[in-house]
Amino acid sequence: MIAIEHLSKRFRTAGGKQHLALDDVNLDVQHGEFVSIIGPSGCGKSTLLYIVGGFVPASDGAIRINGKPVRGPGPDRGPVFQEFALFAWKTVIENVAYGLRLQGKSKAEANERAIGLLRMVGLERFANFYPKELSGGMKQRVAIARTLAYNPEILLMDEPFGALDAHVRTHLQRDLLNIWEEHRKTVLFVTHSVEEAVYLSDRVIVMAAGPGRIVKDIRIELDRPRQRAELMFNRRFQEYVTDIEGMIDAFEASAA
Amino acid sequence: MKRILSFLTALGVILLIWELAHRAFGLSGLPAPLDALSAMPDLLREPETVIDVLQSLRRMFIGYAIAAIGGITLGLLMGTSRLASQMLNPLIMMIYPIPKAALMPILMIWLGVGDMSKILIIILGASLPIIYHAWQGGKSVKSTVVWSAAAMGMKRPARLFRIVLPAALPEIFIGLRTGLILALITMVVSEIVARSNGIGNLLFNAMDMALYDRMFAAIIIIAAMGCALDWVFEAIRKRFLRWSDTSDHIEVSAG
Repeated sequence: MIAIEHLSKRFRTAGGKQHLALDDVNLDVQHGEFVSIIGPSGCGKSTLLYIVGGFVPASDGAIRINGKPVRGPGPDRGPVFQEFALFAWKTVIENVAYGLRLQGKSKAEANERAIGLLRMVGLERFANFYPKELSGGMKQRVAIARTLAYNPEILLMDEPFGALDAHVRTHLQRDLLNIWEEHRKTVLFVTHSVEEAVYLSDRVIVMAAGPGRIVKDIRIELDRPRQRAELMFNRRFQEYVTDIEGMIDAFEASAA
Repeated sequence: MKRILSFLTALGVILLIWELAHRAFGLSGLPAPLDALSAMPDLLREPETVIDVLQSLRRMFIGYAIAAIGGITLGLLMGTSRLASQMLNPLIMMIYPIPKAALMPILMIWLGVGDMSKILIIILGASLPIIYHAWQGGKSVKSTVVWSAAAMGMKRPARLFRIVLPAALPEIFIGLRTGLILALITMVVSEIVARSNGIGNLLFNAMDMALYDRMFAAIIIIAAMGCALDWVFEAIRKRFLRWSDTSDHIEVSAG
């Protein structure tokens, strides 16, 4: 489904030096797989996601989606960003319907689908609100609904719950898992939280910084559907979390 | 209510100082406020005055509209393209400190004292703050917002006007407001320098003929035009920016 081959990304820093943000990254993601990417700040995990999205060009290497090379953004890959990135001048329902309207759907058809999605994320009552009138968690629900609306095959999520408080975060994790169980979209999920990565994913990719690279690819063999409350007492879950945390610490220590 | 009250107080203070100055100095060039105000109805009853005001407003709006459309486009291009900002920034920095009215003589020699030279000077006078704020606004639009639209399949030129423009609107309106008042100022100055018609010409004709009541009445009309324009502008801005944090709204929150 997603094939990342020998991908490198170089930036020119303010001082005019070349900075290697990603060095020879290789990764294959299967159809319907939930893959998390985790690593310290500066390991290039968000950059990797932006390149898959086609928002940022690669310096070397290629990314193929179903065999076709990525040449720019496209509706087959739907992003969800940490800072929500909603269209502030549009109401909630207009935001969700926006992609459908762009694809030439009639207003009635787009709105009907938008309302359905808003119902799914529990924000039907807020259809005519502006984003500024919503809390952070509600905004992120709208952003997820907006992306799901145009039905991308792949979800690219860049620390989507990173700006939310712990309580809202667990709610949204649960909701995301429910949505994923139902639609089985391919998900690339960048996060800082090891617990979140293990809880949600089929695979956790551990990255290290300087230069940004993949150091570990761990398959999470926990039964689905998963309940967070049960996992907290699950030994396997705790082992995954401790192992991965240890790995990240070790790579950070060796880099320092 | 409170705002109207403070406005009336300020107006009262100005009239009081004016009246006191008139009594203290006894100059023919400083008529009593009441005389100036009573000259207003006479002045406004003359059809020429109305034509002058309309001529002024027409020129001002043509100039302002061109400055707004051109300035916003240029500013947004600079805000979203490094190349455009690198090319245009030095030019703008050079033009910025020049008093645009000082260019009036050149334009009069080239284009005469008619509409062309005046409208051109209004465009020059109004466009810089509009360009500058559109530029800052365009620069501050988060790339993730633009990417969100790009992922939906929106192409680059459409993104500039359908995403960057509305997202930058709160900042753009700041430039438009400054630009509006600058357009008014350059309009009056251009009519004073290149006298053919308009409210600026009316004002200086009154001065030439030593009709000081009339002169002050013309000044009051110009001041009222400025206040009215700004007031209308603010009403439009609030209407356009209902969605923005800059206009008040209640905040609802739930988990």
